[in-house]
Amino acid sequence: MQKATVVIIGGGATGVGILRDLCMRGVDAILLEQQDLAYGTSSRYHGLLHSGGRYAVKDAEAGRECIEENTILRKIGKHCVEETEGFFARTHLDDEAFEPIWLAACAKVGIPAIPITVAEARRLEPNLSSKIQSVYRVPDAAIDGFRMVWQNVASARKYGGRVMTYTTVIGIEHSNNQVVGMKIRNTLTGEISNLACDFIVSAAGSWAGEIAALAGITVNVQPDRGTLIAFNHRITSRIINRLRPASDGDIFVPHGSITILGTTSASVKNPEDNIPNAKEVVALLDIGEALFEDLRSYRMLRAFAGTRPLYSADPNAKGRGASRGFVTLDHAHDGLTGFISVVGGKFTTYRLMGEKVTDLVCQYLNVKTACRTAIEPLVEDASPELMTKARRYFPSYGADLAASRLGAAGLEKVVERMQEQPEKRQLVCECENVTLAEVEEAADDQTSFMISDVRRKTRMGMGTCQGAFCTFRSVGAVDANGLSWGQDTKTLFQEFLQGRYKGIRPILWGNVMREMELSRGIYEGTLNINGAINNARK
Amino acid sequence: MRENDVIVIGGGLSGLVAAAVAAQSGKKVLLLTLGAGTLTIGGGIVDVLGYGDEGVSLATPRAGLLEVGPEHPYKKIGPVAIEESIQFFKGICAAEGYPYLGSLDEMQWIPTAAGTLKPTCLVPKTMDTTQLNTAKNVVVLGFESLKDFYPHLITKNFKNIPGFQDKNYEMVMIDPGLADGRDVTALDVARWLDTPEGLQDCTEKMRHVLTPGSVVIIPPVLGTRPNYAIADSLAQALQCTFVETAAVPPSITGLRLRTMLLSYVKKLGVRIVEQAAVARSIVENGKCTAVVTAGIDRERTYYAKAFVLANGGFYGGGLVAEPGQVIEPIFNLPVVAPEDHGLWANPDLFSNKPQPFAQIGIAVDEKMRPLDGDGQVVLTNVFIAGRNLQGYDFCFEKSGNGVALASGYQAAMSMDREIK
Repeated sequence: MQKATVVIIGGGATGVGILRDLCMRGVDAILLEQQDLAYGTSSRYHGLLHSGGRYAVKDAEAGRECIEENTILRKIGKHCVEETEGFFARTHLDDEAFEPIWLAACAKVGIPAIPITVAEARRLEPNLSSKIQSVYRVPDAAIDGFRMVWQNVASARKYGGRVMTYTTVIGIEHSNNQVVGMKIRNTLTGEISNLACDFIVSAAGSWAGEIAALAGITVNVQPDRGTLIAFNHRITSRIINRLRPASDGDIFVPHGSITILGTTSASVKNPEDNIPNAKEVVALLDIGEALFEDLRSYRMLRAFAGTRPLYSADPNAKGRGASRGFVTLDHAHDGLTGFISVVGGKFTTYRLMGEKVTDLVCQYLNVKTACRTAIEPLVEDASPELMTKARRYFPSYGADLAASRLGAAGLEKVVERMQEQPEKRQLVCECENVTLAEVEEAADDQTSFMISDVRRKTRMGMGTCQGAFCTFRSVGAVDANGLSWGQDTKTLFQEFLQGRYKGIRPILWGNVMREMELSRGIYEGTLNINGAINNARK
Repeated sequence: MRENDVIVIGGGLSGLVAAAVAAQSGKKVLLLTLGAGTLTIGGGIVDVLGYGDEGVSLATPRAGLLEVGPEHPYKKIGPVAIEESIQFFKGICAAEGYPYLGSLDEMQWIPTAAGTLKPTCLVPKTMDTTQLNTAKNVVVLGFESLKDFYPHLITKNFKNIPGFQDKNYEMVMIDPGLADGRDVTALDVARWLDTPEGLQDCTEKMRHVLTPGSVVIIPPVLGTRPNYAIADSLAQALQCTFVETAAVPPSITGLRLRTMLLSYVKKLGVRIVEQAAVARSIVENGKCTAVVTAGIDRERTYYAKAFVLANGGFYGGGLVAEPGQVIEPIFNLPVVAPEDHGLWANPDLFSNKPQPFAQIGIAVDEKMRPLDGDGQVVLTNVFIAGRNLQGYDFCFEKSGNGVALASGYQAAMSMDREIK
């Protein structure tokens, strides 16, 4: 039977943050994730590293945590963070009276908010609406959720951390009110097994209520659905927040060559309720036009949705009314020792949540090592020698992108592949500059079981064509290299294309519709994947 | 001002066929094209009808023609004109020295680069599967550095296809020596074979890996020109049968077909204006008198007695989708689309149902004239052809070039009768 001292449930930012912290303090830990890492809320949000400005008025503590963690993550996770800075812009539709209240709240929690003239703001961000009334600069930044999660895992692995994806917990076992293990199921094979442990940390986010229920404990997590739109342009070089009480559709975040607009907010029953619809998209566009007048002329890439894990001791608090702070629940108080849930919170404070939880676990385990997650970078920078070598093999500016994605250790392996077989430098994904060598490296990882898993690790298929060209190449490449995870190729095609389609379907108009017709023309019209699937179905 | 009899808008298969039909009957034809059409994307094989409702495969294309729904273009065109259009097309191919094989009474199942079979109707000789179907030993030949062809996809999947399970498969690779640091497409390999040196080089490289008598599946690379010189030369030198696959863009078979049709219509005196973005039309008393192009310099007005609108669907720009409505930008014709955007797309990309959004298009009468919501003809001298027609999902049923061909033919034929 497999064993670990601590089992962490949930492969989002919080879970991997705890895994890393525990492992760095020498605790034997394993992380379980029901899907792929960063499949849930950690990748289904706008990717904003908050300055805290958004929370300052209503929740001073959350605001203070944000500004502190913001400063830390820029240092330890610099390859995941784009230091864009942010604006808070008040439009002609927003209440003037809120402005001084917001300014005072920012000052109180130590968030620098520096006024600039509207003319200067529009010189810096020419797409901003001409109807903007006032603008402040804040230290917001953009952060890549996928990469942050992956680099935490890379760091944890260095310290012996283990990760099992596509594994769901189906039972929590205890003896004399003390956790002794759990029953788990591999969601791909259906195989059920036991995992012995002394401690369970549930960092399951929106799913935390379901996990606690396995031990007969109630945790009031209210999944709150937020829908977002990814645009195929860098509409703005800075994060743009609307200066008004936090509401729908008032944040724009640039990431590389795209921009994300979010979000909506609606209480839902099912934490997996993540299929966006056209109505939400149109509503977001309507609201977003107050900040960017030409919003409707920009090409969309896809829409996506996730659920915020809102926690409240009061089961009636909903939506943005609930606190965004986080809470560590030691279920010893509910009569079960060795079980902790961490709930609430937000991506920006994931590391702090990890630190607090790890402190508590270490107290139980009598481990005295201090937390170092705030000072040690997640991945090492590639050395100048490695970069020089990489540039020999990578096409154009791909070397720097890959170095950021992979960190020094990962880059070295990919460069080795290219050195041995120069044809592996070929671009599988032209939109995101992902080479065949990188796809193979990611496909080879023990947590990859389908093409979407490779996508989350590499960004392949996330660009303009949304898989129209790279799907064929990636399926061909993993198949040719014997990495197809025992699946037939039509299933690989279907899984990846369906994933892309899910985000395209709610925005199926304009150029997105054109791209869809091209993509279907290739996979259905020419390659007849659908015919093969229907034939197998019969 | 030169008056044209006919203006055809769109240079894809439907537009080229309509131009050829009209020109052959003695009309002065002007062809306005914006881009290359979708032949070089989708390919040069002519799918007529492969699957019926719920994705059930048809025995022959003809078997399905009578079963299509009331709004399907084939229903409007009718089996007689469809048959005529196929004969017309095969006639052009034969006249141009690039004959096609197939008929409505035979379903051709051709290999694709994904290792599936795809039902189609008319194919160039290089996609004839007669030898492949009976062969005991099959070789799949790939080219080093050509990234859009993976022989293993074919050898692996063919072992599971009924009728192909008992064959022996072998994979071989040859190096065209084209890499020099950039990505190689099928077009690069085809251009290499276009040159006498490349053809000789390739023949020698193939000689090392192919046994005479083999049936060889290859990507579509047997030259860019619409003839069989390269295929014949390789077949003769190596005593092998080559079968090209349907593959991802750029499509070489489509490029050959486009080149052939352009050459054909030019010989018939069709004038072609490229980069012509038709912006709007001039309509008087239910008739179109002219269309206006908006280029980078100025607007130009082109007059004619009749017009064929063959500028494609969403991909080609003939239809423009907005949330909950679809616009035909040149004539502002009524477009039939579900009002609720939630009904445009199935929950799953692939299923046993056609996609509703793929069937969005312009309603027409038997003469391919556009209709309004009450079934009345909107413009009496405008005829619709190709993907902007409503009522068919070409990806699902495999009918893209078939509808393009039949509707282009029908549009031009009925126009011919109208303006006589």
